Amino acid sequence: MKVDVAVVGSGLAALVATRSLQKAGRKPVLIWPGLTSLYFAYATVDVLGYPDATTLEPIDDPERGVSELINEHPDHPYARAGLAALRDGIAVLMEWLTEAGFRWQGRLDRNLLLPTAIGTPKPSCLVPDSMAAGDLRRDEPIVLVGFEGYEDFVPEMAASNLSRSWNSGRNVRAIRISLPAFKPGQLFTSIDLARSFQEDTFRHDVAARLRDAGAIDGARIGMPAVLGLTHDTDVHRRFQNELGRPVFEIPTLPPSVLALRLFDRLRKHLQETGIELIWNAPAHAADVVDGRCERIHLKSAARDQPIEARAYVLALEDMVDGALRAGVHTMQDPFFHRPVSHSAVPTERTDESLFKPQPFASVGYAVTDRLQPAGGDSRPLASNVFIAGGAIGGYDPTRTKSRGGLAIATGYRAAQEAMAA
Amino acid sequence: MISDELDLQTDTVEEEAPVEACTKCTACNTVCPVARNTEIFRGPKYLGPESERYRDPHEAAVTAGLDLCSGCKLCEVTCPSQVTIQEYIRRAQNKGAEEKGRTLRDWVLGHTRLLSAFGSMTAPLANFGNRNPLVRWVMEKVVGIHRKRPLPRYQFLTFERWFKKTHPLLKNASNARIARSARLAWAGGPVGEGRVGAPKRTVAYFYGCWVNYNERRLGEMVVHVLERNGVEVIVPRQQCCGIPAVVNSNIDLARKYGMENVDRWGELPPSVDIIASSTSCGLMLKHDYSHLLDIPGAERVGPRTYDICEYLWMMHENGELDLKFEPVEMRLLYHAPCHLKSHGIGYPATRLLHLIPGVHLEEVDEGCCGISGTFGVKVEKYDLSMKIGSRLFGAVRAAGSDSVLADCETCRMQVEHGSGAHSAHPIEILARAYGYR
Repeated sequence: MKVDVAVVGSGLAALVATRSLQKAGRKPVLIWPGLTSLYFAYATVDVLGYPDATTLEPIDDPERGVSELINEHPDHPYARAGLAALRDGIAVLMEWLTEAGFRWQGRLDRNLLLPTAIGTPKPSCLVPDSMAAGDLRRDEPIVLVGFEGYEDFVPEMAASNLSRSWNSGRNVRAIRISLPAFKPGQLFTSIDLARSFQEDTFRHDVAARLRDAGAIDGARIGMPAVLGLTHDTDVHRRFQNELGRPVFEIPTLPPSVLALRLFDRLRKHLQETGIELIWNAPAHAADVVDGRCERIHLKSAARDQPIEARAYVLALEDMVDGALRAGVHTMQDPFFHRPVSHSAVPTERTDESLFKPQPFASVGYAVTDRLQPAGGDSRPLASNVFIAGGAIGGYDPTRTKSRGGLAIATGYRAAQEAMAA
Repeated sequence: MISDELDLQTDTVEEEAPVEACTKCTACNTVCPVARNTEIFRGPKYLGPESERYRDPHEAAVTAGLDLCSGCKLCEVTCPSQVTIQEYIRRAQNKGAEEKGRTLRDWVLGHTRLLSAFGSMTAPLANFGNRNPLVRWVMEKVVGIHRKRPLPRYQFLTFERWFKKTHPLLKNASNARIARSARLAWAGGPVGEGRVGAPKRTVAYFYGCWVNYNERRLGEMVVHVLERNGVEVIVPRQQCCGIPAVVNSNIDLARKYGMENVDRWGELPPSVDIIASSTSCGLMLKHDYSHLLDIPGAERVGPRTYDICEYLWMMHENGELDLKFEPVEMRLLYHAPCHLKSHGIGYPATRLLHLIPGVHLEEVDEGCCGISGTFGVKVEKYDLSMKIGSRLFGAVRAAGSDSVLADCETCRMQVEHGSGAHSAHPIEILARAYGYR
């Protein structure tokens, strides 16, 4: 199949790259490798939460933080993409979110500090409106609400942790209510709850039970993110009105309903505005002739399917979607079948402590200053291939809380380079 | 047709991911249309790879909840680790059915071809019965087929007989060897040595039970479009592709059907490509024969099987497609069937339709339509099937297009039933642009 630009990936980097190409009047095709971890774990866009993997003090101004990072580390992916790409990419995303019917907020020069499901504060830059009232830089009391039988959010634990780390810690409480329509002992997921909250009678009933439980006056209500399964249901606003208190959602363990709303809708929006998606065809090899990639190969049902494009944006995110393949002795990329930079033997890939920085998080492609994959001599492996998102090596997106911002900056920059290639 | 020069040995990931490849990431549960619409279904992750780790071939099958899997395969499409989630569920379901016996309903729905052949032979009577409230009430009580589900209309003249009548030179094309000699007689020599005017391509058309017994016109249009482009069409004898049997817990029957097809179609000369106009039949030939059903010789069929639109697009990229289209002034909506996503070929129908002047095409992406073949026909699943499709129906009604296009026949049935809109196979628009009336 012959296409203009082939974008491989299903995370934020791939989506931003595709959208940027589309907005510029190009005709990208999105090759979807299956869902990445973003789809079920993502809730906010974090640009830069911490200056490095070991610092504990969060950053207030991510724009300045990125700028300093670029000055100090000219090899960092943020430096390769450039601050302008971050700014422009965020503008593209925020405009897109509005057009697709979302209400999000945030500014590049300001982080919010939002509670996680275990009650730790996390710096985030761009967030859905439904999470914003949880900002811990404000002092109003917080009541955390859990539901009987729902295992993915334990309000007592979250409140206990939050009371230790948050300055206004004495102002946090946990309550637990039983749910209408869910029997004790019944197993249910965030998805089941989110669907139920779309029903008026269910929601009214929960609001009444919450008021009856008492002591929500003057407080903001934090609850697991289950207020509606789809982006357009407006459940958060309605529930807030029904309760008469500010309500904020807290992202839960997978499946994250917040992520589901986000990626479902953006993917749909692309398709409904004329972008073709190729599903179920993992991309797995690149044919490079004279320094240019002539085609990549997809595994479609029954046979190999070559895709010939003028340029390629490879925006796979992590181990989960096959961005890298770990063997016993090497870690390889799936296109050029070369050991990636920073590859290590298995025992050196992980730290024994789950809570310490993990070396494997930084493994990935070495890239040129145009985001082309680089060989051992730092020259591009293919001049018309550009890498975006989590597959770029040399940084730890989890510990620094920068996965979203890097996906956007590199996705946007890769799209610009692909247009010029 | 496409050369395969890849060295897969260098790929460190196995072609077929074992159950251990499941990282329990939950991606499948988040997209499963059934799990999204009912809390009584535990989702593909639990029923597929998680349960698979505990299944013992020597113990009785645990089948609770398995029948709620509709077979859409979106879990496999979604899985970033290529775990064959569906196949685990299907095998467990089949084992349960073997131990406990099959219901009359599942037996009947698995034998769609027999049923359709009978319906076609008795077309006026069968169609009357399928629309008679009393008959439908009895059918619901006795067989378990929901009375509100419109059943397809049967036609007396089958596609197979139509083709023989209109293609007398090939009328004896009842088996592959004869088909070959007939084709040679037509072309005047073996493929590749043909004289001037000989067709450059020959395709064997797997029309499937739907076209044969219910929508002959679609088959006629497929033949028209192909012949208009200088492609010679042959129709070797064929059996049901087997998918109704697979989703009704009868893998042995599906394998029997599949083996009949592989025996005949595997014998076709290598230069003959196979096309299918039904998304799910095509997927069986391409994928399930060699995977779930493990049919010997399936590799002689699958790699040369193409969806009709996939094939036409490939011809277009080779400069072989006749682009002299009449304008078709229509506002069209395209719904991509779940099984088309499984093909891993994108949406070739939309690319083709964009070539036609006048066509205004938009895509609706509301996921599964809910019917999943015979799933939404069943009395206890009808309501769920309509609930799954409700977002699609709403979007279709809001769009108010002239027609909703879908490559899969049961999607079209469901869209028409749920939204009241007209629905057609994309080939219908292409045939119209070629002047077919």
